Amino acid sequence: MPQPTDTVARADGERRVHVPRKLRNLELVLVLFASLLNGAALYLVQLGALGAFDSSFFLPATGLAVLVLGMHVALRVSAPDADPFILPIATLLNGLGIAGIYRIDLSYDLSGWESVAVRQIAWSGLAIAVAIAVVVLLRNHRVLQRYRYIAMFAGLALLLLPMLPIIGREINGARVWIGIGGFSFQPGEIAKIALAVFFAGYLVTARDSLSMVGAKFLGLRFPRVRDFGPILVIWAAAMAVLVFQRDLGTSLLYFGLFLVMIYVATARISWVLLGLLLFVGGAFAAAQLGYVGGRLNAWLTPFDNEIYNAQGGSYQLVSGLFGLANGGLIGTGLGQGMPSLTPLANSDFIIASLGEELGLAGVFAILSLYLLLVSRGLRIGFAGQDDFGRLLGVGLSFVIALQVFVVIGGVTRVIPLTGLTTPFMAAGGSSLLANWIIAAILLRLSDTVRNQPRLVVQQ
Amino acid sequence: MSGELTLLLLRLAFLALLWLFVFGIVYALRSDLFGSRVQKLAAEPAHAPSASPFPSNPSPNPSPSPPARQPPPISTLPGGPNTAQGGRAAKATTSSAGRLVITSGPKAGEELRLSPEPLTIGRSGESGLVIRDDYTSTHHARLLLWNDEWMIQDLDSTNGTFLGGKRVSVPTQIPLNTPIRIGATSFELRR
Repeated sequence: MPQPTDTVARADGERRVHVPRKLRNLELVLVLFASLLNGAALYLVQLGALGAFDSSFFLPATGLAVLVLGMHVALRVSAPDADPFILPIATLLNGLGIAGIYRIDLSYDLSGWESVAVRQIAWSGLAIAVAIAVVVLLRNHRVLQRYRYIAMFAGLALLLLPMLPIIGREINGARVWIGIGGFSFQPGEIAKIALAVFFAGYLVTARDSLSMVGAKFLGLRFPRVRDFGPILVIWAAAMAVLVFQRDLGTSLLYFGLFLVMIYVATARISWVLLGLLLFVGGAFAAAQLGYVGGRLNAWLTPFDNEIYNAQGGSYQLVSGLFGLANGGLIGTGLGQGMPSLTPLANSDFIIASLGEELGLAGVFAILSLYLLLVSRGLRIGFAGQDDFGRLLGVGLSFVIALQVFVVIGGVTRVIPLTGLTTPFMAAGGSSLLANWIIAAILLRLSDTVRNQPRLVVQQ
Repeated sequence: MSGELTLLLLRLAFLALLWLFVFGIVYALRSDLFGSRVQKLAAEPAHAPSASPFPSNPSPNPSPSPPARQPPPISTLPGGPNTAQGGRAAKATTSSAGRLVITSGPKAGEELRLSPEPLTIGRSGESGLVIRDDYTSTHHARLLLWNDEWMIQDLDSTNGTFLGGKRVSVPTQIPLNTPIRIGATSFELRR
């Protein structure tokens, strides 16, 4: 590497001390470490499940590592001040997910294009390529602010797309998919990015009227009735998703995203209280529709024999819990457990699969990785330079946090189980694509966070 | 049997490496979590832009605009903080204000060039303008742009931000050549 620091004379004549190389070198080391761990996980899966080493699966996995290094190089060139931890963490989570999916494939004896893991690698490749394109093409995130209303319409359109008659697909009871040919996609995953952009752009301009005025009641300042418009629109959209697409998780995700962003923008706890009341009220009404109520019962009394054996009952949830219990503290070892007994062990229940084989120690390591990833995103929220970027950073990282909480909380029976994807890990192309785009936008935003002061005043 | 032992060791080694990765990241961002070391930062002013010391008296500035642009006496700033722009002092906009000049305090005379992006001020090393004294909060204030006009926003600092002698409570427009005081440091926006 060239010299560790260099002084760059900028066009405006200001001399600024640059230390991007240090950040990027740290990232390179961590990316290589993460790739090594990914390779080791695959190797252990093969050793545990097959008892032998099979090199044929390693070629695509190596291709993925090369692509991640390509992204690292792109960051060196186009975002040298970007956060050095986001890329390695995303790489490791993605790789652990592939190892978990591959492990399930082995127990079903899937290979070639049949193998979910091979398809997951292909999707990861595509997702990382798109992330590179986002980092390289989106040179200034403030451009996004200009397209906030386009983002709103795009987001709503994507959200409603699965309800169209021909291309909409219903899988496992939830109508959140579109299918073209043999190819299915969850447009709602991309919609969450568009909606985060819209919320950030809208709240930057509207937050004064949302936060300054209103009557005080019980020590809280409540907003005026006429400012209720936006929250009611979002609430109605979330309820529509809940009722017509029958997906509590997605509905919760969008509404939670809006609540957090309005809270961050206005610093008014009353918005959160109002929103929660609205959502819980709506969800209770929807619970009368059936499927939400079933989820609630499966959560409260999963070991009830009737519920356990019922169609859409708690069988899956309990099977995941048995798996986690079987794993214990350090797990059965990769490839040596029986995670495939749980339905959807490679997507919704990937954390239960990995928990069985890596144990409590492994699950906590994975949760720590998510915690670090989210904290890097939230850091943009308080250290960023412009309000739009700060709000967007908070919103996007909160989406990841909420998804992790809803899915892993659901699998571990902290909250009722809802169908959301575990970010970066679960099998599924749309989720991977969306999360890698989020990672790319967070990297772009973190590049604008100043790591070096322009002037220091000190005795 | 030895195969199983190897597998057990590999499995434990994998978990150890996983945690090593986590702790490696935590170690690398320790300065973010626990604050940066003061000792090391003391050397940083050497890197700061060292423009030629500028006289703190604003009169030698080239001022091609009408005489109304002269800074008004501090005591006669009209109205509350939010009306500090009055109508007598010219607003600091992206086109009219080019520099931030420190007028009093330890670094009096230093200046930095304003780029059309917000500037954070505080004791934190992440601020654009770092002021380290006993009166400055970690995230003290921000200079931001509203419709190309420079505004100052106090970020709930303990000791306050003073524009022309008045404490700033809401984002306030900054007139040119009007002192902004934070702790023991004052600065002005000039063309």
